[in-house]
Amino acid sequence: MDLTGLKWLQQQQQMVSPEFLHILGSDGREELRRVESYLGNNIYDTIDGCISRTSSFQMEPVKNNEDNRVIALRNKRKPEGKTEKREKKKKIKAEDETESSMKGNSNMSNTETSSEFLKQDYIHVRARRGEATDRHSLAERARREKISKKMKCLQDIVPGCNKVTGKAGMLDEIINYVQSLQQQVEFLSMKLSFLNPQLEFHINELSSMMADPRYFPLHQQGSLDYSVINSNQTTSLNALKMETSSSWDVHSQCLCNNLRTDSVSSFFSLK
Amino acid sequence: MERQIINKKKRVFSVEPNKIPPSEVFTRKYTSLLVPALKKLNMNKNSSQVNQLTVKHEVDMALALSAQEFAWSRFLLQKLSSSNNPTTTTSSSSNGIRIQERSGKEGGHEDGEREEKLRELQKLLPGGEEMNVEEMLGEIGNYIKCLELQTIALKSIVQDTT
Repeated sequence: MDLTGLKWLQQQQQMVSPEFLHILGSDGREELRRVESYLGNNIYDTIDGCISRTSSFQMEPVKNNEDNRVIALRNKRKPEGKTEKREKKKKIKAEDETESSMKGNSNMSNTETSSEFLKQDYIHVRARRGEATDRHSLAERARREKISKKMKCLQDIVPGCNKVTGKAGMLDEIINYVQSLQQQVEFLSMKLSFLNPQLEFHINELSSMMADPRYFPLHQQGSLDYSVINSNQTTSLNALKMETSSSWDVHSQCLCNNLRTDSVSSFFSLK
Repeated sequence: MERQIINKKKRVFSVEPNKIPPSEVFTRKYTSLLVPALKKLNMNKNSSQVNQLTVKHEVDMALALSAQEFAWSRFLLQKLSSSNNPTTTTSSSSNGIRIQERSGKEGGHEDGEREEKLRELQKLLPGGEEMNVEEMLGEIGNYIKCLELQTIALKSIVQDTT
């Protein structure tokens, strides 16, 4: 396996995603596989292999190894393109360096720590530009990226967040928004408690409507059985519309229609 | 007008029967839980005033029950059921996961502010104090959406009665 192939991989800016692999075609995939086998299929082996290759390497404290493995594991399970790429770079570059020389890494942008690295004989990792290569800081960085990604999602959800920049301002907005929503709910429930006696009539109607399996076919858990609804669509809906005089059902359905946005569905699936 | 409403109703059910917009599922669940609960409340406390706290309790309960796939709803349920029985001790974890930023790059000031805000946010979310930051941020998004839907449902119920 020649080094040119390795360098080609290094220069790839794209994420190693399944789509990318598809674009690569079978040849590219072959090459990736070859690279992986060259470096040792197992990430653990690779890291250990790197350590064992160079005699001057100290064994790092076990904890760091664990962290790295955890990170590697995490990256392996969920191939988030960038972090995986970085891992690959780590592996590839580590091998590269053991083959060439281990002297001053010119690509290490953090010059202060580079000297420290040489002294401590850790695995030399080529980091991205302008970033420290400490194992801890890599983990930190991955964590921070996740957090900022989530903040971006929150920005879409909370109205008025676009104008504010910076995490603190956004957090302020989010806090205010959640507080205002909670206050609204409290206020509405207070209103409801005052109105409760008057709810009799409508509630009777609504609850009888709800209990009727024709109009609101329920699962065991109490959620609507949509399969039944879909099949008896026309008949049940028309009958429903005719019978009920309250506008509640139509109300909520129109509202539900309006609510259907991408961000909602994305957030409900966000774990 | 009638036809439009019927058409809108038809549109509610998507072509793919499995893909139900979760916002709809939530609102239906919520209202189907809340309304009978309120009715039961009404029946039980016939002449006496319906306590505001109990209504709030029902409202929260409905929220927690209709969003059971999220972590915060579990915490909310726990809190509600524990508040029902004041004798039982809540099993809150004493060692809640605190927010700690270990970055050495950013200035201490900024960090402190951000930490404070994140802590405040944690307090707002039910069970937020026992989650770590990333988890909490994700759950906050769900919570906000559910709160919005809840307000809409409540508004429509209140509107209907006035």
